[in-house]
Amino acid sequence: MIEHFKHKASVQKALDKALAYQPKLNAMVSFLEPTSQLEALKAIDPSSPFYGVPIVLKDLVNMKGSITTGSSKILENYVSPYDATITQKLSAKGAIIIGKASCDTFGMGGTNMTAATGPVMNPYDLTRMSGGSSGGSAVLVASGVVPMAIGTDTGDSVRKPASYCGIVGMKPSYGRISRYGVIPYASSLDHVGFFTTTVKDAAITLEVLAGRDDKDMTSSNRPVEAYASLLKGDLKGQRIGILKNVIDSIQNQSTLKEFERLCQKLEAKGAICVPIQLNEDLMHAFLPTYYIIANAEATANHSNLDGLRFGVQKEGDDVEAIMSATRTAGFGKLLRKRFVIGSYALFIENQEKVFRKAQKVRRLIVEDLKKALSQCDVLMAPASSQGAPRLDDQSADQLSSEYLIAENFMALGNFSGYPSITIPFTLVDGLPVGINLTASAFEEAQLLDIAYGIEQVTQWADRTKELV
Amino acid sequence: MTQYTPDTFKLLAKQLRFELSDEEAIDISNEFEVLIHQMNLLDKIDTSKCEPMVYPFEEETSFMREDVVEQVFTQEEALLNAPQKKNGFFVTRKVVL
Repeated sequence: MIEHFKHKASVQKALDKALAYQPKLNAMVSFLEPTSQLEALKAIDPSSPFYGVPIVLKDLVNMKGSITTGSSKILENYVSPYDATITQKLSAKGAIIIGKASCDTFGMGGTNMTAATGPVMNPYDLTRMSGGSSGGSAVLVASGVVPMAIGTDTGDSVRKPASYCGIVGMKPSYGRISRYGVIPYASSLDHVGFFTTTVKDAAITLEVLAGRDDKDMTSSNRPVEAYASLLKGDLKGQRIGILKNVIDSIQNQSTLKEFERLCQKLEAKGAICVPIQLNEDLMHAFLPTYYIIANAEATANHSNLDGLRFGVQKEGDDVEAIMSATRTAGFGKLLRKRFVIGSYALFIENQEKVFRKAQKVRRLIVEDLKKALSQCDVLMAPASSQGAPRLDDQSADQLSSEYLIAENFMALGNFSGYPSITIPFTLVDGLPVGINLTASAFEEAQLLDIAYGIEQVTQWADRTKELV
Repeated sequence: MTQYTPDTFKLLAKQLRFELSDEEAIDISNEFEVLIHQMNLLDKIDTSKCEPMVYPFEEETSFMREDVVEQVFTQEEALLNAPQKKNGFFVTRKVVL
């Protein structure tokens, strides 16, 4: 919990712990020496929410003078010349940034297996993955190193690792938090998000990060609410939509049984659980729609990584040769694959048939979601069908409903831009599994309030998994 | 582009300014079969009366700002990540032939 880290020794303790855990978790890409940040605390109000609290940034977030690699080889020596807006906001509220956390390269992945520094391990079972792409941030919160860590979420990159690591992971509405200074993946889907161990800490963090920023022209002008003080947690009369498409595609019986028990407990507290069925054809088209849009946008966004504008330059006889050598050496296998797929969608004869088609299907998916949310206050489903997979697990059938729907439905929040949060709810086979809640656009206060009520039912607040 | 051979993907990669190994091109070609099956699921959906969705929200958030200097890099900061520099300039290969 953030409040417990507000003491003089906490920064050094967090650094020592992060270093001690590094051989097991492999969560950090770089460590920062905190002296100048601690010195700057003298000018900050001690009642600030993050006063002297150690935190980490995902390795996509710029902080002036620090190495920001995007967990890639191509930017392995890139020094940030400026601060991201969220870096400035956190520092202004007293946060001490102790380092950068590992992620899938440029946030492009769901496993954290593609980071240039290698996979990140799950503190609940070191043979299992953290989930990604914000895996380093997730495990540093889950293992009690820091009480809050910044992530980014383009498909479910905060909310899935939160499920696997037994912590809270939130991404608010699109534009609620400025993305200025955050290395992009897919501009129409990217959100800044964060991990905490309690819903109240998530509300506190959102209050600090949210708000209009003229440096990010997609950021919202809507006023920021006092999310933390609005938390009541009363579930009476709250309409919770149960996402049937997801439930019906989950195979793990333990997860289903636990979820049913949770629904019964919520109803006992006065919540009204309403079954919601989204259009099944749209749900099956969901993942390919995501792949097409995300990869096409990524291909365009990363065209500046060419060794001339950005990136570790490799030798070549002319400009073309430099670019090719730089990009071949600097991009991993998965990245190359994604860029090729993105390029396929943008190919002139495919633009209408593939890319525009996906953008149209996206609209239909969002309209269907909007209709569903007119019948309830939030939509709820397990955030993963089971606990974290083993590092070498490649058993998923990519054409099955479980894969297409249950394992990927959280990108609904990215297609729509609606706020979405994962909170822990149970252990399945000894591994954490979370539930995911999604609300209508800019209804963060209601989303957090319902999550707060559910947290009191699950009694999972502020649990961490320390390593021995 | 209707035939998807490993050479197709090598060509695409070349246009993106990187190279694929033979093995990688074969891998992508095989995985593309699954992707094509997934993409075919989109064809089942009638989008004839639908506009593309480019961004989540359509409310206006951008505007033309005044051209006022707000953030200035020193020359040293601007050159921080340059692999080669000389007399305060970036050094690179000849770009204009």
